Amino acid sequence: MSKLSCNRGYFQRYAQESAPQSGDNGVHRYSQRLWLSASAAALIIVVLCPPALIAQDLIVNQDWPAVPLDRNDVRLYFTLRLKLLDNQRPVKVFVLPDEHPLHRRFAKNILGLFPYQLRQVWDRQLFSGTGQVPITVATEQEMLEQVTATPGAIGYVESGSNPPQVRILEVR
Amino acid sequence: MGIRRLVITLLAAFSAAGLHAEESVWDRLQIHGFASQGAVNTSDNRFFGDSNNTSFDFTELGVNASLQFNPSILLSAQLLSRRTGDLYDGTPALDYALADVTFASTMTHALGLRVGRIKNPLGLYNETRDVPFTHPGIFLPQVVYFDKVRNLMLASDGLMFYDHLYGETGNLSLTFGGGRAVNDENVEWTYLGNNFDGDLEPNGLTRLVSLWYATLDDRLKLGLGGAVLSMQFDPGAQSLLAGATDLIYWIASFQYNTEDWSLSAEYARESLEWHDYGPLNPDRKSTGEGYYLQGIYRIRPDLELMLCYQEGFSDRKDRDGTRQSDLTGGFSPPFNSFSKIWSAGLRWDIDRHWMVRAEYQWNHGTFILSPRENPDPSQLQEDWSLFAVQAAFRF
Repeated sequence: MSKLSCNRGYFQRYAQESAPQSGDNGVHRYSQRLWLSASAAALIIVVLCPPALIAQDLIVNQDWPAVPLDRNDVRLYFTLRLKLLDNQRPVKVFVLPDEHPLHRRFAKNILGLFPYQLRQVWDRQLFSGTGQVPITVATEQEMLEQVTATPGAIGYVESGSNPPQVRILEVR
Repeated sequence: MGIRRLVITLLAAFSAAGLHAEESVWDRLQIHGFASQGAVNTSDNRFFGDSNNTSFDFTELGVNASLQFNPSILLSAQLLSRRTGDLYDGTPALDYALADVTFASTMTHALGLRVGRIKNPLGLYNETRDVPFTHPGIFLPQVVYFDKVRNLMLASDGLMFYDHLYGETGNLSLTFGGGRAVNDENVEWTYLGNNFDGDLEPNGLTRLVSLWYATLDDRLKLGLGGAVLSMQFDPGAQSLLAGATDLIYWIASFQYNTEDWSLSAEYARESLEWHDYGPLNPDRKSTGEGYYLQGIYRIRPDLELMLCYQEGFSDRKDRDGTRQSDLTGGFSPPFNSFSKIWSAGLRWDIDRHWMVRAEYQWNHGTFILSPRENPDPSQLQEDWSLFAVQAAFRF
């Protein structure tokens, strides 16, 4: 990820989290204004912005092997097309609600999918009886607790927290 | 919950073979469902009930359960109740009930078999056509996804093999199989034109194949599916009519998705052959076709605009319907053999559970209307409009 997009992402995220809940259009305009007014300062921050601020980490239960995953493999797990770990143990997928900012960022940045696309895949499986759906948790904290406690669990957190009780897997 | 207890009882006989001691099988039971209520108003003609005076006879309810019994066996079933005007009265029916056995599942492919009542994987929407959340408009494009005759291509009682290939450039998915079509009275009304004394029943099995390709980012989806089936009419005591109708159906699908918009197009063709209906009903063939182009624009993640244009013809060699009208001695007007429809809609996903939407349609022709709801062709109006609203809930 380039430093420029890293910086912009940081400001958009800042805007999303600090703007009043006036719907996405408002948020978008707000973030645009913020982006413009901050663009001068941004030049300096580009150098300082640590990538961890904008990234999301793929986390798994400690029982997963510490091996990096391809983006495609992560997609297969999160679309529930791949149900097994090491060809034997069941995988448990945890997600945040579709509208959660962290879920949106994880879907776009790590999976390369839009949240509505994930929902379409899950719904098609769920309502045709050909598959199951991930378990939805309400907060990032709950996500962390579930992935820590559930064998075979996979989920995500905002980068930077480096929770010691789960494994962070690199996505290539 | 009643269903949960029922499933638990049913499966109590099974041993826990293949399961891990630390996890109960019931942790892998999922129960979901949906409910929707719509209101339909038409300027003329009847669609889903007495729509001239605004019909509320448009209710869909579904509840499903799935159990990942062990890593390779998935059991699932859905009960569905539909009330759509004169076509369905809301009697609950088994929508699907299947066992999905995965023989192999790796990073590169998945291979398996489904047994039971299986939704046919034809087109972008057939498998989930009755779940309001899974399609953009209130009504699916009627020239492809007929509501006047939905059951023949809806589901099969039988077997389906599937093979998914996960490659470097995309995912390829092949399904083929066969089974007995889940038939109903609307089929007879549509293909024979009247509710004759007797039964139109599938004769033998439906054979089906479908192929899907999607890029890794799911932006481009391409599909091709086909099915072949034969129906036999067994006359009742009051009828001298007997005969057979053969049907070949195929559908090609396209979809392209970006963050803000999606574009979908499908083309479906249905070849029908009537034979042995006696000297008064000479053998005949016709090929119906339907196609649509639908655009979705997401104003916000929870708010989307829909615009769709569709055309359908009961016989593609008689697109203005004159020949078919002549065959009935003018009883059925020419415009009863085609439909050209513009529709626009707005959908709002209020939260994780609730959704509301509205749709307006400009119709030219009456091909998509059910003869069961509009038994007298002389009462039909060529140009008519439809307005509908719908509220839906899911869990």
